[in-house]
Amino acid sequence: MTTLAVVEDNADNRLLLRALLGERYEIVEFDNGIDALAGLRGSHPDLVLLDISLPGMDGNEILRRIRADDALSSLPVIALTAHAMAGDRERYLRAGFNDYITKPIIDEAVLIEAIERWLGGL
Amino acid sequence: MSTAPRTASTELRPTDPDALARLKRFGGAKLLNEMVALYLESAPGRLAAAEAGLASGDLMATENSLHSLKASSAQLGAMHLAALCEHGETIAHAGTPTGIAALLAASREELGRVEQWLEGARAGRLP
Repeated sequence: MTTLAVVEDNADNRLLLRALLGERYEIVEFDNGIDALAGLRGSHPDLVLLDISLPGMDGNEILRRIRADDALSSLPVIALTAHAMAGDRERYLRAGFNDYITKPIIDEAVLIEAIERWLGGL
Repeated sequence: MSTAPRTASTELRPTDPDALARLKRFGGAKLLNEMVALYLESAPGRLAAAEAGLASGDLMATENSLHSLKASSAQLGAMHLAALCEHGETIAHAGTPTGIAALLAASREELGRVEQWLEGARAGRLP
């Protein structure tokens, strides 16, 4: 089964993502960047959903470390963010994220389409 | 009465029952109830952390706490509270504390209304 890693500090957002995605994918969860970086190597996810605003190490720094790690660098990483400012999408894509999903999640199809696109299913 | 500005959209709809209906569609009454319970459990602490950040001069803590509260509030349909948090988050990000205390007071007042609304949802009256 395809495995997704969810890196998100808010328990309510993790619960929502489990509800939306748990029947389609195996989900591994991390609530902070340190645990995520340690756990991604062991859990071998096919894709990462990465919150930007995390306490301590934020999503941009986690992404930078993923891209600098030979074992993880090719992982598709989708940014999850409640920052929805003009130009954000381009900024996140330039930073090395594969895609960008805004919170709150209104349409689950948008999320699933983005995931499937980067898993090669669409 | 709140001193914080309201946008036209939040003036019309401070709470959005459609958001609760959406959560129910995403995962049934079980998900809706769990999301409401988590929110009611965590939101007061997030607002308290934002207030503590302001009191101690740690505006980054205020910004981060308001950001979390904004995201959760918007997902649950507490749109006016989400707008207040976003306004406070923007000010805190700029590093100028002026106006944040009033926004936090308005947020606390609004959170009380949101809690009542969500308690109603939990009791099965909404959506």
